[in-house]
Amino acid sequence: MNPLQRLRARRREREEPLIDVETIPRRRLTIVLAIAVGLASLPMLITYILLILTSFSNTAGMLTISDLAHYVPTIQPWIDFLEGKVEPTAGHLYTTMEILGIILNTLIVAAGVSIVVVLTSTMAGYAFSRIRFRGRKALMQLVMILHAFPGVALIIAVYALYVWSLAALPPSAWNTYAFIYVILSRASLEIPMSIWLMKGFFDKIPWEVEWAAIVDGASRIRVWREIVLPLVKPGIAALSIFAFLAGWEDFIYVWVFLKPRDIYTLATFIEEQVRNLETAYFPVVAAAGTLYLIPTIIFFITTQHLLLETYAGGMKA
Amino acid sequence: MPSRQTIAVIAVIVIIVAGIAAYLAVTSHKPTPTATTPQTPTATKTPQAKLELTGNLKEDLLRVAKVLTSNGIHTVKFTVWGAGDPNSVMRTLGIVEAAHRLNKILEENGVDLKIVVEQRFERGGGNELFKEFLAAYEQKANPDIMANSYIHLAALASQGLLLDLTPYAEKYTGLLNDFYPALLDAVKWHGKIYAIPQDTEARPLYWRKDVAQCIYRKTGINILKDLAERVKEGKVTWSTVYHYAELAKKTGCAEWGMIHRKGTAHPDLIQFIYAFGGRLYDPKTGKLVLDVPAVYKWLSVEYAFARAGLTPKNMMSWDWAKQIHPTVVDGKTLVFIGGTWHWTEWQTKPYYTDPKTGKKRPLTPEEVAKYFYYTLFPAGEEGGKPVTLSQPFVWYVAANAGKDNPKYQQLSDAYHALAFLLLVKASDPDINAIHSIISSHLPVRRAAAKLLRDKAWIEKLAKLQLDLAPEVKKAIAPIVKATVNPINIEFLANVSSYLEYTHLTPKHPYYGKLASIFADAVDKVLRGEMTPAKAVKYIIAQVKADPDLAKSVEIVGKIPENWKFPTS
Repeated sequence: MNPLQRLRARRREREEPLIDVETIPRRRLTIVLAIAVGLASLPMLITYILLILTSFSNTAGMLTISDLAHYVPTIQPWIDFLEGKVEPTAGHLYTTMEILGIILNTLIVAAGVSIVVVLTSTMAGYAFSRIRFRGRKALMQLVMILHAFPGVALIIAVYALYVWSLAALPPSAWNTYAFIYVILSRASLEIPMSIWLMKGFFDKIPWEVEWAAIVDGASRIRVWREIVLPLVKPGIAALSIFAFLAGWEDFIYVWVFLKPRDIYTLATFIEEQVRNLETAYFPVVAAAGTLYLIPTIIFFITTQHLLLETYAGGMKA
Repeated sequence: MPSRQTIAVIAVIVIIVAGIAAYLAVTSHKPTPTATTPQTPTATKTPQAKLELTGNLKEDLLRVAKVLTSNGIHTVKFTVWGAGDPNSVMRTLGIVEAAHRLNKILEENGVDLKIVVEQRFERGGGNELFKEFLAAYEQKANPDIMANSYIHLAALASQGLLLDLTPYAEKYTGLLNDFYPALLDAVKWHGKIYAIPQDTEARPLYWRKDVAQCIYRKTGINILKDLAERVKEGKVTWSTVYHYAELAKKTGCAEWGMIHRKGTAHPDLIQFIYAFGGRLYDPKTGKLVLDVPAVYKWLSVEYAFARAGLTPKNMMSWDWAKQIHPTVVDGKTLVFIGGTWHWTEWQTKPYYTDPKTGKKRPLTPEEVAKYFYYTLFPAGEEGGKPVTLSQPFVWYVAANAGKDNPKYQQLSDAYHALAFLLLVKASDPDINAIHSIISSHLPVRRAAAKLLRDKAWIEKLAKLQLDLAPEVKKAIAPIVKATVNPINIEFLANVSSYLEYTHLTPKHPYYGKLASIFADAVDKVLRGEMTPAKAVKYIIAQVKADPDLAKSVEIVGKIPENWKFPTS
């Protein structure tokens, strides 16, 4: 091939890049899918953007796209919300400390659920993955059946147990007990699926790693804590995030057990503000709603790879 | 791997266990109000005769205090819950203020007893608070006193959750006689008193003065001339309103003739039933009443307005903040079926588009007075009477009031009596009048209504120079600043007279269900999906299809075949 031919060949390559029978259609498909997913997500994205913009406005209702032409940003709704004013012209229904308390209560429930779920699921998942015991498979299937029960369906029984158990405690302990009860009952809804997720992660770790430690004289619990757990950190991280968000977002359980005791979380606070749609003052509600969304958005943005890994390989039967 | 049979057996066991748990839970708890039909109040806690009151507040308070202090009780704690718009905080603060005043009496008489009130006021209507009360009662976390709508009275009393106040209230006849009679009916059930009225409202028909003036300029017809009086005398009927609305539209003075609230805001429209001489409840049978002729006439009005383009066909799905209120405050309708609270709501929410700046803002009190004229809800037809409708809030005392205090079992009568005395004090005319002014509700007592005309007292309130508990003063200060002005107070004083014409919606547990069917029928009629006759048949079918309603609703009368809404 003379230099001229080589030059022409290079130009052809540039103009017509190498065609790969697999990648070209895939790329096109990816673009099409990206556009489709983008379009499908657009309404939701716009809704969230409007929610955030409403929290920085003084509109009478929720902002709509047509209102954007006259949009005047203001930080006042956030100030009103943090000062406990649910409407600019009304008095303070809450103090700033009470609003901070509401945020703290939400965090306590979320963190509590997360801790209980991670502790129980890592232990149970390890046991199902590594230990052969009688009834193991039946128990695993039972755990899966438990996952099929929605929280709402169980709440009557959970509530009955709660009311009966109150009699055994002094009234001064009822508020603390309500918190613990919510955390445990909400966590119990998350635990079945979490056990299966963690079992999947444990299944992926070669048995030889543990075997070497056991041969060196380590106990089973030490192996679990020092050898295996560090290897399933992504799973634990994903699990703790899922469980945290489940606790953070819970409405029914906190409404049933905490609200009657005058203990609010962000979910019950927001519900109270939008209860009467005719008179609700949306900018303050939107400020609370935006704050409520923040952990979810942060977690999903920063831990996408963990979620993908969990969905892709976290579960093995 | 267990067989399918094993899994099926496990599943069946789980379902059975869950079923038993659910059964036990249901049978060991009181039925929910939706599943309750009114019963005789045999289960309700009735105060024993040990601590009989005299009707003299100071004497009664000292007597109760003596019982408590002699048993080593020196602090009594009560909790109060209430709900409403954010300016209605006196629903709970009223009890705080009452405790402050009772404590003063105790202190002045050297009694070592202090009443402490913990209050929780929620934004929103009373329905959610009612559900929370039920849930809390089971958990022994319920409040001792609750400010809520009277419509829950039957459901709460029939479950034994309320204290029968009759023996106490009978001693305070002076107080009882000062309440508007209709409101006193609201707190009674099966002849017994289960609550004390706290506030109420009326539902005026608002007329845009500027639209009326425009009609006058273009046609020479002065529709506002003596209008309030003519409505009162029954000379203006809904046929007249239709005629005026038609004028507003035809002359181009307004886009719409009549706008009303939507969705679950049934009470406004329920006024039509009363305006056409109908009824909703039969006290003899304790049943709800579907008054067919009155409902047919009501739906005929809606149908006529919508067909003539005077009311939007999709009115029942309009947005509150984007459509309903802006249409009213921007003067795009002649009349609006609203409530007394709208008078101040238009001053606090940015519904109005300022023509000079093009920006949204609330109206000023002066602007509201300039734009709006108000009357009673006119009679349905000639010979009828004007009406209004109230849904009063009341103070309930829980059957276990005082439960969080020491020696409750032994001293429950004293705690109950003290809770009642708190209500008596919280009904002081000035407390009631303050609540009325800052929340735009109407006073429940004539003595409080008189205070609305007392300029010296109002001046003191505006400057917060009244002798109130520091906590109360601090909480209401910003609301007082925003709401106390002569225009609003004059409005409240004027519409207080409407209470002489007021009707109540039934306290029946299934009234909400029936009202939802009405709202559904109104929507269908407005949209033209059904004629009034078909809509009435639809309502009857819906009532018969619901087992609860079928048992609880009496269908009376027939569609008046020869009757037609006079549109000209």
